[in-house]
Amino acid sequence: MNLVPPFEFHRVVVAPWTTELANYGVMALMSFLVAAACGLVGNYLILRRMALVGDAISHSVLPGIVVAFLATGSRGTVPMFIGAVGAAVVTTLLIEGIHRHSRVKQDAAIGIAFSSLFAIGVILISLFADKVDLDQDCVLNGELPLIPLSPSVELWGIALGPPALVRMAVVLLLSVVGILLFYKELLVGAFDPGLASSLGFRPGWILQGLMVWLSIVVVSAFEAVGAILVIAMLILPGATASLVTDRLGRRMVLSVVHSALSAVLGMHLSVWLDCSPSGAAVVAGSGLFVVAWLFGPHDGVLPRIWRRRRTLEGVIDPAEAEDYPGSGRVIR
Amino acid sequence: MSDANRKTEAAGEPPGGMAPLEVHDLTVAYQKKPVLWGVDLVAPAGKLIGILGPNGAGKSTLIKACMGLIPPAAGWVKVFGKPISETLSRVGYVPQRESVDWDFPVSVMDVVLMGRYGKVGLFRRPSRADRDVARACLERVKMLPFADRQISNLSGGQQQRVFLARALAQESDLYFMDEPFAGVDAATESAIIELLHDLRGKGKTIFVVHHDLPTARNYFDWLLLLNMRVVAFGPTEEVFTYELLQKAYGGRLTILSEVAEAVRAKGHLG
Amino acid sequence: MRLRTPNVLLPKSWVACVAVLLLAGVLPVSAAKIGDMAETDWRTQAVRFLTLSDPAVRYALAGTALLGVACGLLGGFLVVRRMALVGDALSHAVLPGVALGFLWNMSKDPVAIFVGATIAGLLGTGTVFLITRTTRLKEDSALGMVLAGFFGAGLCLMSMFQRLPSGGKAGIDKFLFGQAAALGPGDVRLMAVVTLLVVMVLGVAYKEFLLVSFDPGFAQVSALPTRWLQHLLMLLLAFSVVIALQAVGVVLVSAMLITPAATAYLLTDRMHRLLLIGALLGLVSGVSGAFFSFLGTNLPTGPFMVLSASGLFVLAFFLSPSRGLVPRWWRSRGQRVRIARENTLKAVYQILEDEAFRRDSISLRELAEKRRVTLEAAGGEARSLRRAEFATLDDETVCLTPSGWQRAAAIVRNHRLWELYLTHAAQVAPDHVHDDAEKIEHVLGEDAVRQLERRLQFADTDPHGKPIPGVHAVHGPSPAARPGKPTGYGGNR
Ligand SMILES: Nc1ncnc2c1ncn2[C@@H]1O[C@H](COP(=O)(O)OP(=O)(O)OP(=O)(O)O)[C@@H](O)[C@H]1O
Ligand SMILES: [Mg+2]
Repeated sequence: MNLVPPFEFHRVVVAPWTTELANYGVMALMSFLVAAACGLVGNYLILRRMALVGDAISHSVLPGIVVAFLATGSRGTVPMFIGAVGAAVVTTLLIEGIHRHSRVKQDAAIGIAFSSLFAIGVILISLFADKVDLDQDCVLNGELPLIPLSPSVELWGIALGPPALVRMAVVLLLSVVGILLFYKELLVGAFDPGLASSLGFRPGWILQGLMVWLSIVVVSAFEAVGAILVIAMLILPGATASLVTDRLGRRMVLSVVHSALSAVLGMHLSVWLDCSPSGAAVVAGSGLFVVAWLFGPHDGVLPRIWRRRRTLEGVIDPAEAEDYPGSGRVIR
Repeated sequence: MSDANRKTEAAGEPPGGMAPLEVHDLTVAYQKKPVLWGVDLVAPAGKLIGILGPNGAGKSTLIKACMGLIPPAAGWVKVFGKPISETLSRVGYVPQRESVDWDFPVSVMDVVLMGRYGKVGLFRRPSRADRDVARACLERVKMLPFADRQISNLSGGQQQRVFLARALAQESDLYFMDEPFAGVDAATESAIIELLHDLRGKGKTIFVVHHDLPTARNYFDWLLLLNMRVVAFGPTEEVFTYELLQKAYGGRLTILSEVAEAVRAKGHLG
Repeated sequence: MRLRTPNVLLPKSWVACVAVLLLAGVLPVSAAKIGDMAETDWRTQAVRFLTLSDPAVRYALAGTALLGVACGLLGGFLVVRRMALVGDALSHAVLPGVALGFLWNMSKDPVAIFVGATIAGLLGTGTVFLITRTTRLKEDSALGMVLAGFFGAGLCLMSMFQRLPSGGKAGIDKFLFGQAAALGPGDVRLMAVVTLLVVMVLGVAYKEFLLVSFDPGFAQVSALPTRWLQHLLMLLLAFSVVIALQAVGVVLVSAMLITPAATAYLLTDRMHRLLLIGALLGLVSGVSGAFFSFLGTNLPTGPFMVLSASGLFVLAFFLSPSRGLVPRWWRSRGQRVRIARENTLKAVYQILEDEAFRRDSISLRELAEKRRVTLEAAGGEARSLRRAEFATLDDETVCLTPSGWQRAAAIVRNHRLWELYLTHAAQVAPDHVHDDAEKIEHVLGEDAVRQLERRLQFADTDPHGKPIPGVHAVHGPSPAARPGKPTGYGGNR
């Protein structure tokens, strides 16, 4: 069976960086930008235990885009952003409304809200298939391979690259600037909303800002990775980084590194297997997570097994047992 | 189990002279952090035993380990002379109230019937007799009028009484109760204590995690002072001393004054 | 040993009934393939669906009904255990399994896909469990990662098949958004078997699943095989997700687990009813989803099913008799109106009492002064009394009807008894008790009032020295109608 093509070193490893650079290079760059921008927001989602709210919003951006498209008849940046932010707001309102005003818990509320909105999006796409230049495949996979083909944006006569790429780069840049400007607000808001309000920050505003930021990132990523794989881009970098370090600043940097690695590895994987490039990027990112899971310094499975062997020997240590009470709580 | 057998226990002598609970060198660890070290104790039959200790002392952990809910890192537990897995039907349990979701769609009666499940057996339905037992237990904690309520529509003290009724429905010989007095008003507390004394009178052994030092002395026959290890275990008169309590609650100023208060109350009373 | 009556190990009779019904619905369906559905208008399609003349329709109907029942039943456990999103992760995680099952013999073999998908789903939930147990990551992150990681792998595999000569058009893409019209007899048979299994297992082990879901620790102490039950539940969940895949699609199948069960949770607070209602709602949304998607060409089934389920949820959310938003709002509005009326009645009573009940009517101006409101507002309050037939209102004169008198006396009585109780029993200073009494007087029931009276030894004046209206006043005629006792309502004995 020729399902798995042979591994041709030149085709898989060399060509994408030389003869095919205009094509694969742009794809890898795009997938890096997407993962990096998503990963930065994702760190805050992980801290706030809102990963699945991120999932919900990334699904419900779909009807937002479709409605914006049907209303304006074009796939312009501004209507799409407005549609996405509107959809995100509707999603959060629905989730809040359902679990505030009934006994249904937040998890079920998330499930109900995003599935309904997503269903509406899919139905609209199939009803207006001739009017909307979106199809179900694009919703699932994104259209990474098509991005290098679109005409380049020019600014003062300099070709910057395809519009989706430029848009994503701007969003990433703004994300970085936003994080640098509001680092402590975001941190305190994620860590302890009560403390945030006592320090004079508005936790509600911080949360709303985060949601708007999230929806803008998600909608600009939509073209590349579709509506479903976004959650991987949101969570994988931050989760991997959090297995390596505790400090938020380092996590941010590491999640960008993770994005770069998974973009490059994913690109090669998809060239080799000739499969969906966005799917391959996610698979590569998951692989990196598994590596961190096995070898990570704190929670790594292998270091843990080794440590457990050591602690079990030391558990019943009469010397330590005597310096009780009061101090004897922490046992190394 | 035959009636005759029951009667010998009621007289306070467990069959074959087996202690209701025997713990040897028990060490329990959550992942890499041990929370109970080398616990040794042999509990007498037919006593109401209080477990005292500061927050995080491992009281709940001890109970869970005794019931086999957490595997020990070392040591063993025997209940009526056998490993816990063989004597589960003789052990009753009142977990901490926060351990369940009170929004769960079941009625008070359903919860109390759960106490019968161990006796009913796998895949069988509770019989009419089981329902009668459950009803009687509800009556004993004065919750029968609430039998058909959904459990979220109860006050904290009422929820606690439902748990107590469920444990009573287990008809066990050894009970572990984790903070049955949490969030209970004074009247209910004394009603529950009366109930526990009643059970003890029938030869049951009851372990109760308790947080209020001043009342502990009057409630319990024996006390177990716990802080990661056993500080003291014995009859209340011997254990309820300033030194031992200070050792158990060591280093905590607020509690220390409470300890002093409690000991003064003790001196005052007897 | 105590003897046990060896009776109920057999499945309950109702389980058998359901089983027979389910089988009866499925078996008569004869083998045939879907006809072409191109270019028909929705009216003929609707007729075609409703008359069940087409075998494809019968398959779609049977299949969606079956999956609705299975998902609705099991979803109940997810929803009450706050594990709804585990269902989501599970349903996304099956995709690589579907692809590999497809690879088995490069065709849509229901059994191979079933096995592959189940294994992948269980691997996915197992991974979530492992991640949360061995790392500091919380469950939400773990679910999100597993969901997307497995789904990404599945997409890669599927895009690899598209290249293969045989793979391109074999219908595997139908698994993403679901197409009930593509269900064949083999699929429906499998769905029937799984649904039957789910119903039977729940029928036999309902009590065990209930306890394990409510209080796993206590289940273990009751010597139930807790871990096995948890695994069994997960397995059944994976089964029902997998049978639902083809009709609902990987992306939305979790909604069929969550939404009908959550709707049922709004409608009842007993677990067995929740499960039954969930199954019924699942069935209804499944069938109506199939119907709507049948009306057009190439409409996916899954989104329509999900929307039907969500529609039912919205209905229940707003209209559920006990907890719906609208009935609740209506009740609280009713209560506000009642309290406002009672306050007006009290004011009227006090005005009349100040004049020792020599008159039986008051003017609107007096009422406005007493209530410290404008004349118009007082008029509104009086009209509200008239609507409830507590008073008549002619020409700015308010006159209480007999029922108005009784109500007024009752409310004043509650108020004063409560004030007295607070000062006596709770030792609150007399000048502080009024506000508390204001709130409590409207909610004191008959029994509570009786009890208060007994506690207060049938006292007849309140802490401010005013007489407390007696029982006879609450049930008797107005003082003006009883010339013998012009001084009012004082006295309880
Ligand atoms: N599931 C768990 N994982 C890790 N550590 C735990 C877990 N449960 C308890 N611990 C730790 O074990 C120690 C003992 O906990 P335990 O619940 O037994 O205390 P306790 O005496 O019952 O306290 P309290 O009076 O607050 O109920 C605590 O330090 C706690 O942090
Ligand atoms: Mg505890």
